[in-house]
Amino acid sequence: MFLNGNKALRSIAFARTFTDGVKDNVENKPQFDISLLEFLVCPLSKKTLRYDETTNELINDELGIAYPVIGGIPNMIPQDARMIRKDQEEKEDPTTE
Amino acid sequence: MVGPLSPPLHGAKLVSQVPIGTVFESVAQKYDVMNDAMSLGIHRLWKDSLLHVMNPQPGARLLDTAGGTGDISFRFLDYVRFQRGRRDRRAARANQTLSWQQINDSYTSTEPVQQGSRAVVCDINKEMLKVGKQRAEELGYGTDLSWVVGDAEELPFDDDQFDVYTIAFGIRNVTHIEQALQEAHRVLKPGGRFLCLEFSKVSNPLLSSLYDAYSFQVIPVLGEVIAGDWKSYQYLVESIRRFPDQETFKGMIEDSGFFRVQYFNLTGGVVAIHSGFKL
Repeated sequence: MFLNGNKALRSIAFARTFTDGVKDNVENKPQFDISLLEFLVCPLSKKTLRYDETTNELINDELGIAYPVIGGIPNMIPQDARMIRKDQEEKEDPTTE
Repeated sequence: MVGPLSPPLHGAKLVSQVPIGTVFESVAQKYDVMNDAMSLGIHRLWKDSLLHVMNPQPGARLLDTAGGTGDISFRFLDYVRFQRGRRDRRAARANQTLSWQQINDSYTSTEPVQQGSRAVVCDINKEMLKVGKQRAEELGYGTDLSWVVGDAEELPFDDDQFDVYTIAFGIRNVTHIEQALQEAHRVLKPGGRFLCLEFSKVSNPLLSSLYDAYSFQVIPVLGEVIAGDWKSYQYLVESIRRFPDQETFKGMIEDSGFFRVQYFNLTGGVVAIHSGFKL
């Protein structure tokens, strides 16, 4: 989270980090268990996936689909997934939204 | 899925045309309470029975489809842990008076180190999984348990990966049951076992009329009182009646390519366990 600018927001953010510290971090980005990739595949193509740490997504490069990992739980529902355009994917730009 | 009596609003794709997600998620936290209330706690025994039929051995890998908050996977891991403990104790007892020959054998033994068991809970409802994962962390389950949001008709798993596939109180809510069965067959290893726990047909006329009265007159009321949701639970009861009976469902499993398909009735057929093997 980048809470620049607004002072009030910043102090709230500070208060939160101060109180829940490390725990807050863990909740925001729980580790994705990489060992799942041994058998987790894209439900559409049934091909293997690549984990992108920067966006916290599981990526099917062939079809250009990114499945989000939320709270450490991969969401493998195609309707919830994000389509990635080839050019954006090459730049590896995490701020596509 | 969550439990025997969980409303229609969970698990795989639903038959219902009613908009689903929101209602279901609001009830997610009350599921276990509802399951206990509606089945008078018996759903726990049904789930235990499923594990007894499964009798998983250490090293087995389970796919718990429509696994909701993890009831089946928790039982699976506990069961396997118990089996391993028992085996280790037996081995320890047997090892108390060793001959030189046995000691020698133990050094040269090529028996592979037992691989850890693993359970993967897969459900279409992410709220259920969130609750389950939280519970798993509180109960101290480790990395042998994973949570994946996925559709039973379109499983996000590679072919030939699991020793056991379970779907407990979930297949009733899948739109295309054949499709889910085919996916189950695909992800199982050759020799792997399909197990389904689902409501079925009561054949005893006396029990049947009691069951009907309870289903149609008590369950929706409980749904309204506990979860504030009459309609979902009314639908639940209706969906149970629409689901194919023991023999019909057995035929469907056979048509999907499973062998040695059989079923066991529980509580007079209120619930049945169907089993089949991929060869």
